Amino acid sequence: MKLAATIRGVTHSFGSVREVLAKANPPKSGDDLAGVSARDPVERVAARAALSQLTLAELRANPVIPPEEDAISRLVEDDLDESAFAAVKHLSVGQFREWILDTATTGARLRSVALGVTPEIAAGVCKLMSNMDLMVAGSKCEVVVRCNNTLGLPGTLSSRLQPNHPTDDVEGILYSTREGLSYGCGDAVIGINPATDTPESTAEILRAIGDIRTRNQIPTQQCVLSHVLVQMKALALDCPMDLMFQSLAGSERANKAFGIDVALMNEAYDLMQRRRSSTGPNFMYFETGQGNALSSDAHHGADQVTLEARAYGFARRYKPFLVNTVVGFIGPEYLEDGPQITRAGLEDHFMGKLMGLPMGCDACFTYHARMSQDELEGLKVLLGVAGCTYLMSMPVGDDIMLNYQSTSFHDVPTVRGLVRKSPAPEFDAWLASRGISSGWTPGKHLGDVSVLR
Amino acid sequence: MSLPLSRTRDLVAALRRARDADDPMPPRERLPPVPLPPQRVFPSPRRRSRLAEAAAAHTTALVGIGAVGTRYATDVVLQFQAELAVAHAAVATQLPAQWADTNQYVSLVSRVADHRQFLLRPDLGRRLSEESAARWAATCRKDVDVQPILADGLSAVATMGAGPVLMAAFIAECEARGMSVGTPVCARFARVWLQDEIGQLARAKVAAILLGERPGLGTGDGLSAYLVYSPALGRTDGNRNMMSNIHARGIPPVDAARRLAVLAQLMLEQRTSGVELDLAPRAAELGEAARGGYRAPVARARLVEV
Amino acid sequence: MPVLEALLPKVLSVRRLSGADPALLRAYGADPERHRALGLITVDQDDPAYVALDEATKHAGVDVVFARSFYAGSRHASGPLSGEFLGVIASHDPAEVDAGLDAILATLAHDACFYGANADSSIAVFPHVIASLGRYLSAIAGLAPGDPMAYLVAPPMEATIALDFALKAANVRLVKAFPPPTETNFAASWLTGDLPSCEAAAMAFAAAVCDVAAQPRER
Repeated sequence: MKLAATIRGVTHSFGSVREVLAKANPPKSGDDLAGVSARDPVERVAARAALSQLTLAELRANPVIPPEEDAISRLVEDDLDESAFAAVKHLSVGQFREWILDTATTGARLRSVALGVTPEIAAGVCKLMSNMDLMVAGSKCEVVVRCNNTLGLPGTLSSRLQPNHPTDDVEGILYSTREGLSYGCGDAVIGINPATDTPESTAEILRAIGDIRTRNQIPTQQCVLSHVLVQMKALALDCPMDLMFQSLAGSERANKAFGIDVALMNEAYDLMQRRRSSTGPNFMYFETGQGNALSSDAHHGADQVTLEARAYGFARRYKPFLVNTVVGFIGPEYLEDGPQITRAGLEDHFMGKLMGLPMGCDACFTYHARMSQDELEGLKVLLGVAGCTYLMSMPVGDDIMLNYQSTSFHDVPTVRGLVRKSPAPEFDAWLASRGISSGWTPGKHLGDVSVLR
Repeated sequence: MSLPLSRTRDLVAALRRARDADDPMPPRERLPPVPLPPQRVFPSPRRRSRLAEAAAAHTTALVGIGAVGTRYATDVVLQFQAELAVAHAAVATQLPAQWADTNQYVSLVSRVADHRQFLLRPDLGRRLSEESAARWAATCRKDVDVQPILADGLSAVATMGAGPVLMAAFIAECEARGMSVGTPVCARFARVWLQDEIGQLARAKVAAILLGERPGLGTGDGLSAYLVYSPALGRTDGNRNMMSNIHARGIPPVDAARRLAVLAQLMLEQRTSGVELDLAPRAAELGEAARGGYRAPVARARLVEV
Repeated sequence: MPVLEALLPKVLSVRRLSGADPALLRAYGADPERHRALGLITVDQDDPAYVALDEATKHAGVDVVFARSFYAGSRHASGPLSGEFLGVIASHDPAEVDAGLDAILATLAHDACFYGANADSSIAVFPHVIASLGRYLSAIAGLAPGDPMAYLVAPPMEATIALDFALKAANVRLVKAFPPPTETNFAASWLTGDLPSCEAAAMAFAAAVCDVAAQPRER
């Protein structure tokens, strides 16, 4: 295994696969903060050159955190599909990139190797791709999941309706919910980040959303994004929980900072097998985001792209209905500006899809990051073209509880129209029955909440 | 297999040119004057829709704003851009170096060198510069109950706005409850955790940092307060209690000061803070602050009048 | 849409039978002694499809054994896959059928098509020039493979007037006329001559159809 490359006669050597992966990363303020990034653009390319020569088998054998030290590394090893891995293990990362981009490599082919792709492999090939490469590859991947409706079919673009409220005022949540539905939003999930993380308030919000869904016969899912332990307790309170949510990270220690471990997630999954209110077979919902391991000092000297892919390795065990990367939420110390946030959104979407996950993206920024509204609108269109499974949606993109800027109710039908994609078919039929929209064409009741009861 | 290019298509294109029918666009329509679009929308009271009116009683979310095609009405665009501009302006504003002196606070600075570094390196914003640490250790009042710290955080606009009023009211409320209060200090390029080092050097039982919070849309003037018992390097977020949205439209500074003093008193009584602190005994006096991380709803003000 | 823009044919279905039953082969005009595999295609425009099938005979070892237009055209189709035309090519070798189908699809996508003759394209014209006939159309036309031919189609009035212009525009002769009513109620004519003459005749035909479309009552 050669961990060096020569550029203009200067040989750059690296101490480990982890170092090669980190230094091959495009610039991210979070990697600078962690002290793992390349010292200059030339060293970065040298790291990519070294990375391109490593085989997928070598990447698998050298996870960025040794299995002895980390439960996520062990979980990835345990869950890996050996026959899928065997089909590609001899390829170098550079050759794997070319295979992925080849016209003859169809979505069906990519799906066949997905469960043999380790996080380090996904992150490695990601680092050799340009933004447009990531979009080409991401748009080829086919990941279709089913709960109360079907997400990820070709030609579809879904959205999470995110009617958060700073004090969990249920009426306030419902005002935003009805508004969002009237713009064709909410086929992925109607999901609320609660201000108060208690089983009672979780159950109360779920019942309120369940009511509006039943009354209007809306084919979608509801979820309250409280901590998994809180949701498990809420299940005992007899409430309609279609999806169970949890934030995930790419190392055991970072997950511990989230208050979870593998055993707890196994338990939560088993409980939902028996107690959920939805159809399935997919019913888990996970959120991730580059930098979340470093923020709890649990990055083990690895870069944030590789750690993000490791969170997908964790998520994959539970055959989730939804996974999304909350890409600009964490702040400029991890993703400084528009170009970094844009890049991260496309990276995460590609890596997740390559690993077989139904990836959505919360294209967003906090107000202290250097990203303009126009850049953010651009990212939403790029994600739509790249085949992103779903975007978020809230009134004018302004989350009045979490105080950040994301996708708006208006953006969802706009992006659908621009990239000619429809909502999930069951939801599309419902929207058409209410005159809200049909496919990507707005109907005469778009934005009219009076069609809802 | 490869086929020759289509000769017929070339011939038809030439014929089209010859017939002067080469413009690929259909002839333009003759339009009568375009009618004025219906007036929308939020949040001008005189134009507000009934739905927006009803919703405003429950939420500050911009609902009932209508749409033009799938996009916003011009009115909404301008309101939104104004809110965004206020937030960005608040983040970009820096606390002038002499501001602390002018307001008679001891002036400290973190290890951060400039504003960009402040945004990118939270670790440096959590530690005092060597010079500040030495000066503070040498001159501050020690062994106090409460060390009050005003800081810029992510909105110097908020610090320079309600900061001095909140600081003065908080000190007065603490003293009125018999607590000893440390030298009032103001820190630049400061993150929340800077309270650990400042409080530790003063050997304070409780450190309270009042700093500009990360702006939301249209709200660049909010302050947050974080209190920690037995401040020392290495404390984590689990050791802290916080209150946010301190400004005229949220929790007024005078109310906040009283509740924060009660919170400090509770820490002194129970000798702990954060998740271990039992807020129940004083829940009535603490109000919403008894709930962790509570955010008061903020009234949405119309920012653009034309 | 402005005049003389291409109106692209839609391929509605393409299937292959690699070992068709001898009875089926016979029923659709194939010879079980020589033919085993069939390629079938339906299209919403018939004349481009006849041209495309002929083209296939030049690129693959296939015979056109069946090609028919449906009554009253694709607006009155029997189903969404029917259009106004079914064509069948045959060979002993399924790979040859595939090659033939590829040639048909390419011709329909990039070469043979109707064009709009008025602003809303409610009148269509097919002024197609075949530089070199294949085995299929040459046999029907009584010409030799490799001969040029102008294949001209329009609605009855337009086609009749325009044929007169085409015949007078160049040194061409009428090989075959298909006066109305045909299955699709269009009228067609096949002209031959040297290639430049066929081209000139076809464009005179197209221009005349546009003129009739613009001034239907001009005496």
